[in-house]
Amino acid sequence: MAIVSKTANSASFRNSRRWLTVALALYFIYTFIPIFYVIVSSTKSNADLFGTFGLWFSGDFHFWQNLQDLFTYQDGIFSRWLLNTILYSVVSGVGAALFATFAGYAFSKFEFVGKKLSFALVLGAVMIPQTALVIPIFLLLSKVGLVNTPWAVILPSLVFPPGVFLMKVYADDALSNELIEAGRVDGAGEVHIFFNIAFRLLTPGFATVLILAFVATWNNYFLPLVLLNSSDNFPVTVGLSQWYALATSGSGGAVLFSIVMAGSLVSIVPVIAAFLIMQRYWQGGLGAGGVKA
Amino acid sequence: MEKDSKRMTLDRRQFMQAAGAGLAATAVAGLPFAAAAQDKVELLLWAWTPDTQVQADMFTKKYPNISVKVENVGQGGPHYVKLRNAIQAGTGLPDLAQMEFNSIPSFKQLGVLADLGAAANPVKDQFIDWTWKAVSDGDKVYGIPWDSGPMGLLYRNDVFEKNKIEVPGTWDAYSEASLKLATDAPGTYMSNFGVSDAGWVAAVLWQAGWRPFHTEGTNITIKLNDDIAKKWAAYWQKLVDAKAVDTKPMWTTEWFAALDDGVHASWVTAAWAPVLMQNSMKKSVGLWRAAPMPQWTAGGTVTSNWGGSTFAAMTTTPHPEEAALFATFMGSDPEAAALWNSKQFLFPVLKSLIDDKALMGAPNAFYGGQAVNEIFVVSENQVDPSFEFAPFQDFVNQTMQDEMSASIAGSGTLGDAFDRLQDKVVAYATDQGYTVS
Amino acid sequence: MPDAVATRRRGRVYVTKSVAPYLFLLPFMALFVAFLIAPLCYAFGLSLFKTTMVAGTQFVGAANYLKVFTDPSFWDGVVLLFKFGLMQIPIMLGLALLYALILDSGRVYGRNFFRIAFFIPYAVPSVIAALLWGYLYGPSFGPFGQLAEFFHLPKPQFLLDGTILGSIANIAVWEFMGYNLIIYFAALQAIPQDLEEASSVDGATGLQYALRIKLPLIMPTVIVTIIFSIIGTLQLFSEPYLMRNLAPGIINSHYTPNFYAYTLAFTNQQYNYSAAVSFVLGGVVAVVSYVFMLLANRRAA
Repeated sequence: MAIVSKTANSASFRNSRRWLTVALALYFIYTFIPIFYVIVSSTKSNADLFGTFGLWFSGDFHFWQNLQDLFTYQDGIFSRWLLNTILYSVVSGVGAALFATFAGYAFSKFEFVGKKLSFALVLGAVMIPQTALVIPIFLLLSKVGLVNTPWAVILPSLVFPPGVFLMKVYADDALSNELIEAGRVDGAGEVHIFFNIAFRLLTPGFATVLILAFVATWNNYFLPLVLLNSSDNFPVTVGLSQWYALATSGSGGAVLFSIVMAGSLVSIVPVIAAFLIMQRYWQGGLGAGGVKA
Repeated sequence: MEKDSKRMTLDRRQFMQAAGAGLAATAVAGLPFAAAAQDKVELLLWAWTPDTQVQADMFTKKYPNISVKVENVGQGGPHYVKLRNAIQAGTGLPDLAQMEFNSIPSFKQLGVLADLGAAANPVKDQFIDWTWKAVSDGDKVYGIPWDSGPMGLLYRNDVFEKNKIEVPGTWDAYSEASLKLATDAPGTYMSNFGVSDAGWVAAVLWQAGWRPFHTEGTNITIKLNDDIAKKWAAYWQKLVDAKAVDTKPMWTTEWFAALDDGVHASWVTAAWAPVLMQNSMKKSVGLWRAAPMPQWTAGGTVTSNWGGSTFAAMTTTPHPEEAALFATFMGSDPEAAALWNSKQFLFPVLKSLIDDKALMGAPNAFYGGQAVNEIFVVSENQVDPSFEFAPFQDFVNQTMQDEMSASIAGSGTLGDAFDRLQDKVVAYATDQGYTVS
Repeated sequence: MPDAVATRRRGRVYVTKSVAPYLFLLPFMALFVAFLIAPLCYAFGLSLFKTTMVAGTQFVGAANYLKVFTDPSFWDGVVLLFKFGLMQIPIMLGLALLYALILDSGRVYGRNFFRIAFFIPYAVPSVIAALLWGYLYGPSFGPFGQLAEFFHLPKPQFLLDGTILGSIANIAVWEFMGYNLIIYFAALQAIPQDLEEASSVDGATGLQYALRIKLPLIMPTVIVTIIFSIIGTLQLFSEPYLMRNLAPGIINSHYTPNFYAYTLAFTNQQYNYSAAVSFVLGGVVAVVSYVFMLLANRRAA
């Protein structure tokens, strides 16, 4: 921050810096309370979960026991759910990002028949309520026998219209037409140009869409809830909410509450890790969509 | 937690012994017919009761050609949503499904419940009469019961003694006790008025004589807001207005805690509740007792049922005989039925188990050594069998919850809620093509 | 990886400029048609019929739509969403903007740490967010209730008729503020730095600079996030659906229009009417977004 350096030593600057940091810290506390709550809760026995102060650790450290219970309850089906979630999210994320990049590139760099109409359709798609789609998707997929298979979650998740929008804007910005023309003059085919020249420059946008689509599938609840029946196929969100329902109805015994807490913690850790690893990409890419729109 | 997981493994070992013994016993007793499949058949059962697979495996031990896979597609409501979606899609139904008593008319109406009569009628006399009446229509049988919920009263002996409250035998006495407790011990309630569970409302109204539905083909009589409902609504309205009952949403941790902490001094509930309480409560061990359900007339002996389940076969199954055999086994096999009681802690539906003095008379430490089941055995035999559910009971339940909760929150009285309910249900039934009277 | 693909293809396929866009669009558009357009057409078809338990299926034309227009259960939900949106969107985006400006000012410690920390709630599935906040809201076991009890204060009631909408709004703010903050922050970072140098020469303070120069420059971004927030709000479903167990009396079966559509289809078996409700809701979303866009453009012009 070279621009601010000349004022950096003034007293007023240090003062405002202190107050602004305090303001950030306040918001951080708000953000962190539920996260902290799930961390604390997953270290507690079921009795302590309801018997001790919610936002601090109890004397009895029950974390490893909870983890063990989590991964052994119902013959260890939680690890299956975790693997399912990873499978659905990775396949959907990569696929959605790739197809969105293709499509965004096409919308950005080519003129063709039906361009305006199809782009308007893609943009309009974000306004469609989820419930309006899930029921007909269920009925249609039933007819072709895909309900209760991984495809029932993966195929609809590959369609990620905001990704197309973002990639179009990103390609407008990051990819100059001259570069592509130069490739054409050299006699390169369009596929060659895309993979050898364009894709590298579009990578930050691609990574952003990848993580957005990944998170959207990881967090999805309603679609798998309707489209899957066997608990063997559930992602973590559906499985955990079923355990939670079991816990509240009492028929599974209230011991389930601490398992649900441990499961919640375990299910958010991988996404946070993915954010940290890929932060370089999404921070840049997310901006592009907004700036240029 | 550690204790619990040990209990689980112990149960499993016990089960292995029980299953071994059961195998020997059923080989002798046998089922009244022998429809064992020649080819290997796999049946799919949707059920949410924990460990249903255990009984299913007992069946496979006896009939090695028929294996049964149990899937949990959701608890209660979501389970029926899945079934209805599969019906709408025209594919994806399981061979069999768990079906509560109050859902049978709805799914029968949709034409998906297979007639199990051929396999089941020979064992009908083994079942408590009202449970059989609830699943059958003459010789046609739409589900085999294995769990029931005759009503009784669970109460906190400590709170009653401290506040000098007699165990109420009638609803009048119950109301007086509620008002007294509200005055003498503010913050303590005689009960929670559980309008967030329409099943509970239907059960207590059932006892009062409410018979809201009678269906014959496409003709349906709807009397949701009759005098009985209005009288009942006024009864609870008075207690709500006097703040003499709590109105917490049921089945939340807050609600469980209120029972455990003595905030709620009693609960008019079903026979499956004693064990549920025992499993969920930590502080109130030894303080609870059971008593008969309060009566509307002194000395009365009318009770009702809340919950309870059956297994039903779907008409779409390619293996109707095997499915019927399985459902019948799950309800009537002595060892399987005993296990529903000892492992899943459900209240039995077989006369032989209800009459089993050793089983039903066992003292229970959580209830201060009282043999709580004896109370519910009496209730089971007093259930008035004439109650009918609607062929669209989920809509009724949903609307009832909405309207009664709205009244509790201040829009009109509970009596108004029944009027609104009547209007909405009549409109819905008419819209669905029924002739309403 | 791109190299490998290209090499493999170089000898075989030469795609010309006129064919290329269709080729690039094919995978997305095929799936888009299969999983968006087709279900949508199917749903629209459904909405023109009526299936009843007794009388079977018949064509009813626009009857379902006419019914939606006079259905108080639907419009009550829409009114509720307007209340919700008018409360939640300004708070969420206002805070996001404020904090993005603070982060961008360069006058803070630990900027990278905060930036990532604020984004983390976006990683929490709404199922789990609703579950966690549900516990936090609990009057007896929630830590706020526990604190109040400890200090002998009246317990905060998060789940009552008057407060629950705010409680749900809080969950939405918590989940999505960080996401919007990152978008604003990226937009602010893209503002050329020589602008600030010029303004500091003019004697403008940091605050003046933020409000007069930066804010107008990122207004287009803000408008986009507002539109997306409006769309998201009008489709509110998961949070009330999951909170329903905690307050079944207040969150009724037609609490939001999406929820109503869900109940109609899945509980009442009125699939046809449910489809019509969803289409009218989609229409409301489109109209509100469009009106907002018109207003925003008029003010900008």
